Amino acid sequence: MSIHFKNVNYIYQQATPFEQQALFDISLTIPSGSYTAIIGHTGSGKSTLLQHLNGLLKPTSGQITIEKQIITPTTKNKALSSLRKQVGIVFQFPEAQLFEETVLKDIAFGPKNFGSSEQEATQLARQMAHLVNLPEELLEKSPFELSGGQMRRVAIAGILAMEPQVLVLDEPTAGLDPRGRAEIMEIFQALRIKQHLTIILVTHQMDDVARYANHVIVLEKGRLLASGTPTEIFSDPDWLRTHHLALPQATRFASALQKKSGFEFSKMPLTEEELANQLVQQLGKRG
Amino acid sequence: MNKIILGRYIPGASFVHRLDPRSKLILSFFFIVVIFFANNVQSYLLLGVFTLFCVYLSKISLAFFIKGVRPLIWLILFTVVLQIFFTRGGQVYWQFGPFSVTHFGLVNGGFVFCRFVLIIFMSTLLTLTTAPLEIASALEALMLPLKKFKVPVYEISLMISIALRFVPTLMDETEKIMNAQRSRGVNFGEGSLIKQLKAVVPLLIPLFVGAFNRAEDLATAMEARGYRGGEGRTKYRVHFWKRRDTLSCVLFGLLTLLLLFLRNW
Repeated sequence: MSIHFKNVNYIYQQATPFEQQALFDISLTIPSGSYTAIIGHTGSGKSTLLQHLNGLLKPTSGQITIEKQIITPTTKNKALSSLRKQVGIVFQFPEAQLFEETVLKDIAFGPKNFGSSEQEATQLARQMAHLVNLPEELLEKSPFELSGGQMRRVAIAGILAMEPQVLVLDEPTAGLDPRGRAEIMEIFQALRIKQHLTIILVTHQMDDVARYANHVIVLEKGRLLASGTPTEIFSDPDWLRTHHLALPQATRFASALQKKSGFEFSKMPLTEEELANQLVQQLGKRG
Repeated sequence: MNKIILGRYIPGASFVHRLDPRSKLILSFFFIVVIFFANNVQSYLLLGVFTLFCVYLSKISLAFFIKGVRPLIWLILFTVVLQIFFTRGGQVYWQFGPFSVTHFGLVNGGFVFCRFVLIIFMSTLLTLTTAPLEIASALEALMLPLKKFKVPVYEISLMISIALRFVPTLMDETEKIMNAQRSRGVNFGEGSLIKQLKAVVPLLIPLFVGAFNRAEDLATAMEARGYRGGEGRTKYRVHFWKRRDTLSCVLFGLLTLLLLFLRNW
């Protein structure tokens, strides 16, 4: 499902003294099947943008097209509920949404709301629990007995069980240890390859952006600052620095190396592997 | 969620903002009592003008105050309608069974409406110009004499401060959880009553769990920093009674005298 924003503005609490504009004239395209990363500082409008993707918020002006469905300021809420099944959002710290008696019931909650039978939903729930590596013996436990990392996975499974075509992830690995982080990111990657999901990832982890994304959107203060491939976005360290954005570790290393010693990188490496390859090549040339 | 104006603070440096929170608190309560002395058009007019004057002094737009009335409008209208239908006396305009609309009824209804609006305006003025924690600390200062009667003043005021402090936090949390559950297909405020009640469960349970966790964290954080209750604690906020506070009290005193005079006119 491809997503287009056309001149989207969003104003919180319009026509009150607390009025605040969060999005300014945003026009962008998220191609179907892409792995799009949205980066920007806190307050750059990322969360507001996300909530437009499944109709939790409607634009104050402008238009959003998601596949064939068009959302304008006057779209009725009823028309949006089918959209919520197609676009699954994993919010920040999603473990706060758990409430059912058992893990299995909680995962099955979404599909049941969207019209699956009890049986179908339970089956889906088992499948998704397996997919996110939740051990079988946890499924009948209360979600509140689990560890933080396990709760996170239950919540993610709860969204996956809705079988969305677009998966939106708002800092899905915040607060996890490095291993849990890598594991969860690999699960999303596998899903994308297997089920051709469109993934939209909001993150501050530039290494994740470099490793997984093939399309990057940069927001600043509610405006679209840039969009392009990770290679394009990370090609200019100075530009990133002026906008207070970090580089992936490998790129940072390469850029420092370039300044201090005779190494020349024609194409800035984004991941450790690319960095290592280029270094091996150049060291080879020097003999 | 964001429509509730009552209990919201707008920072500023107006005359009203700079009043001692104790005097603001006392005078607001005093005003609510005084309002019940008003009994005719002239006295309500006086109170209305006075309230608008206070609003003017606060330099806050009138729109805020009108918004403060909105959440309570149905309660107000209900009370007004009761007054209109069940007050007897004067000329009868309309009658049906036990209901009748009389001259007195209409007048009383109007007065009740004014009373509500004025009370809301005045209490909104208090909360708009005074930070919640200031109100809590003023309450503590005013309750201090009750310590003689073994009332746990410090504990009560700590509870009030914590409660006030977490209102916005819990509202944010509510909104977040609502969004998360909406994304999982819950429709809040739609369908039959039973359906709507069921939709509240996925909202309330995470909210309670979150609140309990937060309470525990807060208690731990306070103990880690050596909190030992009120005895002997010095205060970060110290109240100073200034000339403008005395002036305000005198103004309210004059208002009362004028009101008593108009009442018997």
